[in-house]
Amino acid sequence: MGAIGRFFKDMNKNTAMLLMVLPATAWFILFSYLPMAGMIIAFKEYRYSRNGFLSSIIESKWVGLQNFKFLFSTNDAYIITRNTVLYNVVFIVLGLVIAVAMAIMLAEITNKRLAKLYQTGMFLPYFLSWVIVGYFVYSFLSLDRGVFNQIAEMLGMDPVNWYSSPGYWPIMIVVVFLWKSVGYNSVIYLAAIMGIDKSLYEAAMIDGANKWQQIRNVTLPMLMPLMTILTLLAIGKIFYADFGLFFQVPRDSGTLYSVTNVIDTYVYRGLKSTGEIGMTTAAGLYQSIIGFILVITSNGIVRKFNKDNALF
Amino acid sequence: MSNKRKRFMPLLALLMVASLVLGACGSKNESGGEEGTAEKPVELIWYTIGTPQKDVDKVMAEVSKYTAEKIGVTIKMNMVDWGDYAQKLQVMTASGDPVDIMFTASWAFDYVQNARKGAFLQIDDLLKEKGQGIVSALDPAFLEGSKVDGHNYGIPANKELPAQEVWRFNKQLLDKYKLDMSGVYTLESLEPLLKTIKENEPDVYALAVDKNQMPYVKYDYIIEKLPMAVALDTTDYKIVNVLDTPEMKQVLGTMHKYYKAGYIPTEAATMDSMTDAQTTGKWFADRATSQPFADNLWSASYGYPVVSTPASDALIYNWSVMGSMQAISANSAYPEKAMEFLNLLNTDPVLRNMIDSGIEGVHYKKVSDTVMENLDESKNYDMPTFSLGNLMITYLNTTDPTNKWEEFKKFNDAGTVAPLLGFNFDTSKVTTEIASVQNVKEEYWAALMTGTVDPEVYLPRANEKFKAAGLDKIIEEAQRQLDEWRAANGK
Repeated sequence: MGAIGRFFKDMNKNTAMLLMVLPATAWFILFSYLPMAGMIIAFKEYRYSRNGFLSSIIESKWVGLQNFKFLFSTNDAYIITRNTVLYNVVFIVLGLVIAVAMAIMLAEITNKRLAKLYQTGMFLPYFLSWVIVGYFVYSFLSLDRGVFNQIAEMLGMDPVNWYSSPGYWPIMIVVVFLWKSVGYNSVIYLAAIMGIDKSLYEAAMIDGANKWQQIRNVTLPMLMPLMTILTLLAIGKIFYADFGLFFQVPRDSGTLYSVTNVIDTYVYRGLKSTGEIGMTTAAGLYQSIIGFILVITSNGIVRKFNKDNALF
Repeated sequence: MSNKRKRFMPLLALLMVASLVLGACGSKNESGGEEGTAEKPVELIWYTIGTPQKDVDKVMAEVSKYTAEKIGVTIKMNMVDWGDYAQKLQVMTASGDPVDIMFTASWAFDYVQNARKGAFLQIDDLLKEKGQGIVSALDPAFLEGSKVDGHNYGIPANKELPAQEVWRFNKQLLDKYKLDMSGVYTLESLEPLLKTIKENEPDVYALAVDKNQMPYVKYDYIIEKLPMAVALDTTDYKIVNVLDTPEMKQVLGTMHKYYKAGYIPTEAATMDSMTDAQTTGKWFADRATSQPFADNLWSASYGYPVVSTPASDALIYNWSVMGSMQAISANSAYPEKAMEFLNLLNTDPVLRNMIDSGIEGVHYKKVSDTVMENLDESKNYDMPTFSLGNLMITYLNTTDPTNKWEEFKKFNDAGTVAPLLGFNFDTSKVTTEIASVQNVKEEYWAALMTGTVDPEVYLPRANEKFKAAGLDKIIEEAQRQLDEWRAANGK
């Protein structure tokens, strides 16, 4: 009886709650845990079998770490790793700072109608696909018809061939990324700010705190757990680059690869014509393992300082 | 009791969802005893390339009536759009989705690679048993040239066999400035014409080049758009880095000169296609691969006259032989029926034209025995003719010359064989290097080939990176296989 009995008792007690998490659990099992078995494809030379997917996996030949080699075989490996990690670090830091700042500013706007307007305006780009964003950017940067070059022409300056000048692109990529993503994150933070107990601010005001001091001593500390969690989650994805951002926005221009080539685009370009599933799986596995290690480590560090802010 | 049942509900629901999904993955056609007759036909699932057409199901219902009667099969055709085809079929074959017949080519869902990976059924014997009609209808060079490691895996469409490069001209502009294309053959010989256009029509792309184009040099490539090739007039079959050859250096120099002179679109290296310029007619010259009476096709599809003049000899390459094929899936439940159907498709004008033009009286009407005219409804069933089997038994359009197919046969007979015809490089030992080299190619290729960058500066850079990525190792492996192939085939 013992353990099993207790299990059923717990189940019974929390039926409503359990039913609520059921869809998500089922989703995770089906789409995240079951497919994990497919990891072994990373160590195989995948060939098709007559009898469907499972026997294809089983019958394919083992090749050890052969599939991982292409990620490290040239000095491109350094460039793509550097680009992926550095861009993501910048995205995480700037994304956090700007989103929180925007959220605080939105919360401070007394005209709620205007606040809603700004919020919607910032949120909108999040829903655009990268292909469309790519064309937006193109309308600014096109060599002969772009806004930037037309302004340059009016001012009597030489037009710039943006799509073959790598120097501008690190800034361009960061700006476009922030433009698209900040609105979404600031809404999350705004929701958290709205949830802060108003009496805290009242107490602070009675103590004579001005706006700035209220923000520093009430709002930011209250946001800290959320900021840590979102940042930790972002760190887990540090080896994943947003494919659309790095492929569509620079229009896949070869001259820009030194600053726009990231792991995901490298894998795509290397394998789109050969379609070696083993190698793409290997790349994905490599990214997730590094991400996993990073999440565990940074979570460990957070725990050291403040147990409550850690993910687990 | 009811309480206990309630407790199991979540678990039960989970199990049901799981089994539903798993069940959907594993479902398979089960074959019974009496299937494949007119009374109880089997369904063949056919994936082919092209923009999905509204009336496909309607036409296939008619087709199925006909094929059920003749060979006991019905047809379910699925069209996948041009840009998605390779990727979608890649996923479908990798996951083992039910497919019986699928389109494949050198340029979409790569025939050789997928044959080697086991996506297609090997059809040597099936061809002999159920495909005699195909064997006698096709120019033997098609079946011979599309062998992979000595076996056939697909049925090429009977069409033009060699590929000939031509310079195409927008005739309106040619006439307006009284230019003469008869002296044009090489890239260099285009210059005076481009100059005139540039001076008089600054808004027109003098030489319409997008990022997929590359200048023609007399080399036969081991893998398309990777810089490994043998010279067309080779006797020793030595594979060279084509970027290192004097011919390539010269044309790239010329391209860069043209780019600087403004003959080539400034953003050629990032332009996906020339469709916009072609629709508006704001282009003067470009290069294309031709077939007999291609000028008529182009003029009809652009809506203004286009003329062309040769830019190369007509040669039979691997990629021109494998330009359009239908293969039987390795996991097809009815391989024999599929072959019977393909045999009928390639020999029976009624079936072939129904698949191509739709239902008589709805999508087209017949003018005479071999000539037809499209009706308005044909906009709902506009199929890419070349991708659906034997071209030479399709009806002519009223605008086509009556000797069209004779000219095709003449063109096929006149084509000479390129050195690598029949040789297919097996890349399985150098996949790592290929992936790296592909990346280098993506970085430099378009910029160099469109003349956007100075080859004096960028060619050495590209070559250095190609070397670092392992191009030499690939060439070495390719050379080894090529030498073996030569020895085996007495070349």
